[in-house]
Amino acid sequence: MSIKPFENINYDVRQDIVNAHIEAWERLAAPGTWLDSERRLAVATEVRQARSCNFCKKIKEALSPHALEGKHQSTGLLLDTEVELIHRGVSDPGRLSEAWTQKVLAGGLTQGEYVEIVGIIASVMIMDTTTMALGANETKLPKKVFGKPARYLPPGAKVKAAWLPIVEPEDAVETDQPLYPSPKVGYIYRGLSMVPETMRNYWALANTHYISGEFVYQFDKSIRAISRPQMELMAARVSGLHQCAY
Amino acid sequence: MADTQVNLQDVTKGLSKDTQIPHAEILLNFAEAIVKRDVAMISNTRNIVFETLGNDITVDAAAVASAFHGFVRIADTIGIPYDTAAQGQDVPEIREITGINNFYRIQEAN
Repeated sequence: MSIKPFENINYDVRQDIVNAHIEAWERLAAPGTWLDSERRLAVATEVRQARSCNFCKKIKEALSPHALEGKHQSTGLLLDTEVELIHRGVSDPGRLSEAWTQKVLAGGLTQGEYVEIVGIIASVMIMDTTTMALGANETKLPKKVFGKPARYLPPGAKVKAAWLPIVEPEDAVETDQPLYPSPKVGYIYRGLSMVPETMRNYWALANTHYISGEFVYQFDKSIRAISRPQMELMAARVSGLHQCAY
Repeated sequence: MADTQVNLQDVTKGLSKDTQIPHAEILLNFAEAIVKRDVAMISNTRNIVFETLGNDITVDAAAVASAFHGFVRIADTIGIPYDTAAQGQDVPEIREITGINNFYRIQEAN
């Protein structure tokens, strides 16, 4: 089955965005570093399911996000702790905590699995939000691809700045394959570096929707039709509505 | 961009008249509809962006708003320290002015 994002819409979508979606879905369906294809696709399905979860809606409305008791409405394809990560990551990401992260990990996820799932959540959110924003139907998920996860753990990954391990630019080694375009990349860029393939896949997608790292701090330059001030205003407001302090 | 006038509180409170960016209102209406995932509101606001600014900016606006649906989730699920934002040039006073200091993550940390 070929992947066809943005079918039957009235807009001429930039070809690099169309290509990025096709490539991202193809990569998502392939075996990852810690998750096989079936589990990766189950994560993508759960991301979509989370958007209609009534328990998530109650959490979002609650004054204290961790005080409620209840059960997520899930697809039943994944462990409870994976469902918890996906649903809260989708529905209320601005009110997570380190203690919550440790609880999710203690529920039966490795740090590598956690980071790979986060990469899928973020990628699916970008793609589904773009298609929704342009009036297209959600892209049908691709079929699973047989194969084993690579199980590669970067030797330089360590917990330092964030809740999960990160490979700092000075700790990257050749077996990680290319990680950073510059040793000065921001921490948001380093966030998924514990799973290098996930990180590369995510940024290949994200850069086409925003701008690549080389242009981020060139505030007087716009490489898109939209102006840089317009772009940053939208970005800041979207982040603010998510209560993202970064 | 250095000459662009922006009210930093718009990040948390929505657009004010102090912000002087061309077509800010229609772009932020579109962005807010996208975050709400309100299909009817998205359609209405998108049509206005398209009629006013054309195809390419409509697509770019949708793409930028969507990109930040990914970035925020990485930052907040991995626990990227907020004071490393802007390559470590995070300014606490700006967080205070914008209202970002009232966000859960910062309140929890203090």
